[in-house]
Amino acid sequence: MTQKDESKLLADRRTILKSMALGSAALTGAATGLMAGIDPVTGVVGFSAARADERVKMAFLQIQPHTVSAGWSKGIEEVLSTQQNVDYTQLDGQNKVEVQVSLMDTLINNDTKVIFLQPSDSVALAPSIKKAKRKGIIVITLNIDATEAHAAHVEMNHYYGAMEIAKVMGDKLGGKGDVAILNAPPGIIIRDQRTNGFVDGLKKYHPEIRVVADQVADWSRKKAQDVLSTILAANPNLAGVYGVNDSMALGAVDVAKEKGLLGKMVIFGNDGEKDALASIEAGELTGTQYTDVFQQGRFAAAAATVLTSGLVTAKAFEQQGKLLMPFVIATKDTVGQIQPSQRW
Amino acid sequence: MRVQSAFIAVVLFFLAVLAFFCVFAPNFATASNFEDLMAGFSFIAILAIGESFPILLRGIDLSVGATLALAGMVAFDLTLMFDVPGYVAIPITLAVATLCGAVNGALIVKLRLQPFIATLSTLAAYRGLVYAISGRQLVPELSTTPLSDPWIMGLDTYFDIGSATGLSSLIELPWVPLSFFIMIATLVVFGVMLGRTRFGRDIYTVGGNAEAARLAGINVGRTIIIAYAICGFCAGLGALLMIARLSTTTESLGMGMEMSAIAAAVIGGVSLSGGIGGLAGPVIGTFLLGMVLIGLTLLGISQFVQQILTGVILLIAVGHDRFLAVRRQKRLAANLAEEA
Repeated sequence: MTQKDESKLLADRRTILKSMALGSAALTGAATGLMAGIDPVTGVVGFSAARADERVKMAFLQIQPHTVSAGWSKGIEEVLSTQQNVDYTQLDGQNKVEVQVSLMDTLINNDTKVIFLQPSDSVALAPSIKKAKRKGIIVITLNIDATEAHAAHVEMNHYYGAMEIAKVMGDKLGGKGDVAILNAPPGIIIRDQRTNGFVDGLKKYHPEIRVVADQVADWSRKKAQDVLSTILAANPNLAGVYGVNDSMALGAVDVAKEKGLLGKMVIFGNDGEKDALASIEAGELTGTQYTDVFQQGRFAAAAATVLTSGLVTAKAFEQQGKLLMPFVIATKDTVGQIQPSQRW
Repeated sequence: MRVQSAFIAVVLFFLAVLAFFCVFAPNFATASNFEDLMAGFSFIAILAIGESFPILLRGIDLSVGATLALAGMVAFDLTLMFDVPGYVAIPITLAVATLCGAVNGALIVKLRLQPFIATLSTLAAYRGLVYAISGRQLVPELSTTPLSDPWIMGLDTYFDIGSATGLSSLIELPWVPLSFFIMIATLVVFGVMLGRTRFGRDIYTVGGNAEAARLAGINVGRTIIIAYAICGFCAGLGALLMIARLSTTTESLGMGMEMSAIAAAVIGGVSLSGGIGGLAGPVIGTFLLGMVLIGLTLLGISQFVQQILTGVILLIAVGHDRFLAVRRQKRLAANLAEEA
């Protein structure tokens, strides 16, 4: 029931009170009418009854269609489809930040209760998140955090996962050698988290390993091939490569194959997509950090459902919630424990 | 200037689409939705206005998106890396963008390159330059620092016209973003330039027939360079409005936006065969594409349909343009035959 309805109701009651004799029954009725909007603890009958059959709109706004976001969406949908009263849509940001911002505006205007967001830039989407928050909309970011605090953030364990990668990779290298990082473009917090985790991990476990190159390969397999070829020309003794996502690591595998370095170079990726796991099983890619993205989507949807059914709005948060996903460092020895149904 | 039939067609189509979404799309006919439309597409409309100039000359500028990114990065670097105040950074940004456009024009005129090839090369070059000068890569902590310059961030202001005029007591009106007014001002200034000045007449003459224009004593080279410079200037203006809205810039800013600008111009009745069209059409074309994106999203229609539909609208516009061009040629041939 909206405020307007309530005040109209109250006004109606006043006229009734004026025109008719005062009765205790009428007074009680007016009191109940007043209480309905006020008492948040008991969740007065009139209020929650109006909410019970209301459809709740939730949307997932991705950067652009990708295996990771498709996996999240599947997990989200699994949980939300059983809730009966949720309308879920998936939107495509077309890999353009201005499109993502416009779609955020549209979702806000369309009374969406929960927005699952994979921001294409941690800063550029901050004004949109702020706007959503003002309207009480719950924003849950997936993987890429934003500089504006919001309801919750569910991420692959970027920092500690990359640290673990550094440890396992260093073990495979025998604790020494030169390595290169194929990195994401700047402006995305995940880039810093993974890079810092990897570098800190090397410092902690394998201080003799040197990072000789850290270059942007735009998340892309093709770009990674070009970038690594250039790096190899300058560093012919390169012993290891860390791609901050699997596509870039697989690009490195392509180069290693072409130059006959397969087996000599230790190559690690991050994320754990199906192709990367298959490549590990084929003995090409050395390893990756595997996260169950279906599960990640389910967790995000679970958080959203609990918050909305509990009538918690974005204004009620004291600070941003954060959930780190469990992970496995998948190598030839461990990849077998990842079930077919968990592969994405 | 005679109102073109392609322009009337786009206005009618725009109104039809507007009416359709107002009736069928939930929450479309709301003040906040129109506010979102104005805020989200005014800067693209400015780009489309700029893009109309090369197209009127039977050329094209593929580099507007990259120019926009370069301008955005210049403004970002100046204010965040060098602490240059916005009132200095804004004119420098616009000058850089204008220069980018002028370089396109110079390549076409002096090296006699095809506009498509020239601007395809500068697209790559300007985009590369963005990465090279990116303050977000040179100073890593800046990648997560929002812009704070009051002059630039002030461009993301909204005006409550409804309250100011007292109309809001009658109807809920959208708050109008400053970017919308800047877009209207751009439209008026360049519209007058195109319709009322000698330079404007030269543009139409050169676009219609460059050889005839040269023989008539028009400085064709200068006209072309100025037209591309205007296109660059508009990209710079769009960049400033966009980074104010995003509170930052990115290296990939404006990627693919040349396609939106060209599509909007063509849908708005600017003929790809040159010499025909105005600037109001491209603005309407931009908002038409914006309405399609938002309207279909509100209708809950699949994320891919919007892109397909944009393609179909563009195809219809180009087909219509082609149809009109063929008809003009036939008429001309008939007239010539009569005279003979």
